[in-house]
Amino acid sequence: MCAEVRKIRSPFHEFAFGFNVIVDLIEPGTRVLDLGCGTGTLLQRLRDEKNVEVCGVEVDQEKVIRAIERGIRILRFDLDEGLDDFPDRSYDYVVLSRTLQQLMNPGRVVREMLRIGAKSIITFPNFGHWKIAAQYLLRGRMPLHTTHPHPWHRTPDIHPLTIEDFRDFINRVGGKIEHEIHIIGDRPRTQIFWANRRAEWGCCLVSAA
Amino acid sequence: MPVIPIKEYADSDGLYGRVQQQYAHFDGITLESGVFLGPLTVAYETYGQLSPNKDNAILVLHALSGDAHVAGIDENGRLGWWDAMIGPGKGIDTNRYFVICSNCLGGCKGTTGPPSINPETSRPYGRQFPLITIGDMVRVQAMLVEHLGIERLHNVIGGSMGGMQALEWSVRFPDKVRSAVVIAATARLSPQGIAFNWVGRNAIYCDPIRCSDGSDRKDACEDTGRGLAVARMIGHITYLSEETMEAKFGRKLRLKDMDGYLYSLGENGVERGEFEVESYLRHQGSSFVQRFDEDSYIVITKAIDYFDLEKETGELSEAFKGVQAKILVISFSSDWLYPTSMSMAIVRALLKVHKDVSFIELDLPYGHDSFLVNAGIPSMTRIVRGFLQGVR
Repeated sequence: MCAEVRKIRSPFHEFAFGFNVIVDLIEPGTRVLDLGCGTGTLLQRLRDEKNVEVCGVEVDQEKVIRAIERGIRILRFDLDEGLDDFPDRSYDYVVLSRTLQQLMNPGRVVREMLRIGAKSIITFPNFGHWKIAAQYLLRGRMPLHTTHPHPWHRTPDIHPLTIEDFRDFINRVGGKIEHEIHIIGDRPRTQIFWANRRAEWGCCLVSAA
Repeated sequence: MPVIPIKEYADSDGLYGRVQQQYAHFDGITLESGVFLGPLTVAYETYGQLSPNKDNAILVLHALSGDAHVAGIDENGRLGWWDAMIGPGKGIDTNRYFVICSNCLGGCKGTTGPPSINPETSRPYGRQFPLITIGDMVRVQAMLVEHLGIERLHNVIGGSMGGMQALEWSVRFPDKVRSAVVIAATARLSPQGIAFNWVGRNAIYCDPIRCSDGSDRKDACEDTGRGLAVARMIGHITYLSEETMEAKFGRKLRLKDMDGYLYSLGENGVERGEFEVESYLRHQGSSFVQRFDEDSYIVITKAIDYFDLEKETGELSEAFKGVQAKILVISFSSDWLYPTSMSMAIVRALLKVHKDVSFIELDLPYGHDSFLVNAGIPSMTRIVRGFLQGVR
């Protein structure tokens, strides 16, 4: 029996709500690079709503074609093969939305982000959520949750992490968290009690330390 | 304008209808080598209507063996070489855009080239035709564009040698192109590419001398053309992929009852070729001889060999500093002649100098020729249509 969670991703991913948090963090008229941009949904919003100059990076061919059809500037690159070609400080913001946990070498990618962008925005599903911990603790099985919907043998999320982990990680790669947003049930919150156990998603504005 | 639905999947169906080749005449051009070449004729075709503001023109650039007949049906009933891509409702929509395609300088399809008459000798130039460059070809195209009253092109697009020209356009005439689509191309031909061209030309040189003495081509020995056929066969192998060859021909024999011992061993310099791949190549070679000029082949491959945007500046990104066009680079995963790494080098250099570049590698199995294969047209259509719409 496959106990895979039906819904592919929590609503945080969906157009209407999910990207609002990121869109709100970005100043109008700036330059934004979105790593793992998919079909360019976020970039299209930024371009249309905030007059942002956009560029995306995506590895999936079909998604890249879809983004080009939308008139989004995009590069079919594999993030894990590096971003050396982007000059230092060539973007105001570099976005890595729900992709961090899927990277082969997250440290290298985030270091590159800090070099390329003045600011970086990183969102990731929080593996520290109490329901996930409870599943593992009580059932002794790899957890399945709306934020982590794939069984262990088929998940693209090869590097699950918690909010605490992320704080350490950013320190380690030479960054500084400027602003931390926690998402619980579709609502963005800041400075909540016990974030590491209660937040479903983390969304952080990061800059080079 | 009639309303024709957007086609998801385009075919080579001649939808644009009849087209007539046209000619533009110029006094001449001083080539990059310093030699003056003139008078000059440029053969071209156009499709669609030029807008009142003259801002909807797209110049299509053909590859080594192409010509000006890119879409529609010509007087001989022949379909254009990229008909699946260009026409009403197709990827390059002739209801929206004014599409121009010209035969390149040095060609043999109406534009001045080796088969043209040299005014000094009143005979064809043949191998006396001066050395030309990709830059010269592009300058002649620019003369045509100006002749048509267009100041700025909406887009230049081409594959292989056409992709080189699209890059050259963006570098040489930055204020004359709003965007460029560079398909299966490179900013400098690889030594491997030079090597294949060298072998091809040498096959041609093995033929009995045809007209180096300026004698009339009509008296030429019947044997001429075999070298060109060999050159074309070599070229054709480089345009395909191993995967396509396996799928298309495998080890199939042309004659079903062939027991493997009845093959001919090249008696009198002729081998029939039992394998399907052999007979396919032989057909490609012999039909090419009918439609192409061997001296054009020499002149054009030389121009391709010498194409190197890095040469002057030492670094590609330096050459791209002045580029203003939005650029889309497309490569094919199975292309081993102009592999993705060469397209990536273009992309990298453009990124380095903060240019607006998009890039996609398409996973298509048909090798270098993927952009011409109809099975690749649906994705190419979506990409090119989307990109062109995004250009303002």
